Amino acid sequence: MRAASSIAGSLFRAVRIQVLLPIAVWVTLAAIPWVGVEPNLVRLLFVTFIWTITGIAWNLVGGFAGQVSFGFAVFYGLGAYAAAILINEGVHPYLAFGAAGLVASFASLIVGVPTFRLRGPYFAIATIGVSETVRVIMTNLSVTGGASGYRIVEKRAFNQAEHFYSALVLLTVSFLLSVWIARSKFGLALVAIRDDEPAAADVGVNALTNKLAVHGVAAALAGMAGGVYARYAAFIHPQGVFAFNTSVYILLIPVIGGLGTLFGPVLGGVIFGIVEEQLVATFPEAHLLIYGALLILIVLLEPGGIIGIARKVRLPRRLRSAT
Amino acid sequence: MAALDWLNVLVAAILLAGIYAVMSVGMTIIYGVMKIVNLAHAGFMMLGAYFAYELFERLHLDPLWGAVLAFPMFFAIGRLVYWLFVRWLPVSNQPTLASLLLMFGIWLVLQNLAYLIWGNQDRSIFTPRTFLTTQIGPITVSTLRLVAFAVAVVSLLVFEVVLRRTWYGRSVRALIQNRYAGQLVGVDTKRTASLTFGLGIAFAGMAGALFASLYSFNPDFGRPFLIRSFVIIVLGGLESASGVALGALVLALAETVGILFVPAGYQLAISFGLLVVVLLVLPDGLARLFERKYRPA
Repeated sequence: MRAASSIAGSLFRAVRIQVLLPIAVWVTLAAIPWVGVEPNLVRLLFVTFIWTITGIAWNLVGGFAGQVSFGFAVFYGLGAYAAAILINEGVHPYLAFGAAGLVASFASLIVGVPTFRLRGPYFAIATIGVSETVRVIMTNLSVTGGASGYRIVEKRAFNQAEHFYSALVLLTVSFLLSVWIARSKFGLALVAIRDDEPAAADVGVNALTNKLAVHGVAAALAGMAGGVYARYAAFIHPQGVFAFNTSVYILLIPVIGGLGTLFGPVLGGVIFGIVEEQLVATFPEAHLLIYGALLILIVLLEPGGIIGIARKVRLPRRLRSAT
Repeated sequence: MAALDWLNVLVAAILLAGIYAVMSVGMTIIYGVMKIVNLAHAGFMMLGAYFAYELFERLHLDPLWGAVLAFPMFFAIGRLVYWLFVRWLPVSNQPTLASLLLMFGIWLVLQNLAYLIWGNQDRSIFTPRTFLTTQIGPITVSTLRLVAFAVAVVSLLVFEVVLRRTWYGRSVRALIQNRYAGQLVGVDTKRTASLTFGLGIAFAGMAGALFASLYSFNPDFGRPFLIRSFVIIVLGGLESASGVALGALVLALAETVGILFVPAGYQLAISFGLLVVVLLVLPDGLARLFERKYRPA
């Protein structure tokens, strides 16, 4: 009796932290544009949402399937350009976001098809090659203004709340999608591939199609995030959206928070979104140096990121099961 | 195009291939022995270039001497980096997520340290020899490239002898072929790994210093060369040093000929396109096509 009730109690606590806390945070966030917060804070939250979405997307490929990509800026940037061009052509922005996701997803095949058939470091290196090549091409492409960038002209009034909500909705969808993947057979297959690809293949997991699928989904999320960002920024250029730094940031977010966990990229995204602004302002030269050092420290000392520390500290016991 | 032009292109490609081989051989042995993709390779090449630059500016030392001196200097740096960071990585027969992220972090740190020290403007080294040319029969080549090629070839030959004749070389070949079997017959894996990492970084630094006298550079220097190194290694079959020379030649040829048809801005697209084609058509690399008897060395 006693045991049963304590199990029920701990289950309830686990449910409380896993479900009620995120819902409370979400409701608070959703209410923010209503209570008249200053626009700069709304902008900061918007940017944080965008980073978190890309971090969730990277975590699907890097954290769940164990495939390290250094080229997520490609999907982010292609999505941004696709959405920008379509919006300028008069397509409804929300349709344009969807198209941005499709374009990015299609682009993910270019890296995935040649490299996912092989085990080893091929994929990771090819992603560096693709991001370099795409940036060079976009810098020289005259249709989109080349290096001088591309402007988005929307024939309606700027509504910050609408941008905020489109980012929040996309973030919610991404997070729920990652929860669904983590609990599905698909997610199990990805983790099996990460942990031991030959063994996974032996029990009938098709590594190629699973890796291609998760890469495509992640690319679509990153592409849509790029599209939402492009519409907000109203101006994009290759050295911004396609920058190598963008790929670094996207990779860093789930690593900081905790690779392969559900809440890791969210925690990482929130921390990154807030810290990045301060860092760039205070150390414009050295902020990448700090990120590099952080990456080394995390890999050597605590590969589990913040979630890993939380699990070790044992204090928030409920958080341990929450991941 | 006349036959003479093609001969010029061929010679230019061979000269370029020499330095490309030096740059890739370091990455190959580190991968072969430790199964670590050294993403920081680009960072060490960039440091090698600045090393030659500083020696030239402060001590008026010829950059080719800088390249020779870079070798022991970067050997020491490589062993230090191994001792500080790399040896803590979990041992694996596959490149791990941790090793990729660690080497990437080291690269970011090196690159941005260089931005802090030298700023972001392009540097280059001009010596009285920079514009000299040498006439070999009907063709004209840059003297500097010829000498850089000679330095590269000599260092590669010495390394080949070390691999074949010394105990260290035998350990390296054993670990490349089969890590566990190597351990069973008493290869000291830690020591071999440390020496190999040092040597790999030494080759990176030397290649960077050689490039410094040919191209201008900035702290971002080396990133395109990282892709090139990898294309060369894949062409050569990820674990054989003899394949590296072949891979370097193929890439150098593709680039030198490609520049006649493709705008210079897209040059990197050539190497990347080559990578995709090779991965699709022969993932085992060119070397396996030609020589199956002499596997790794």
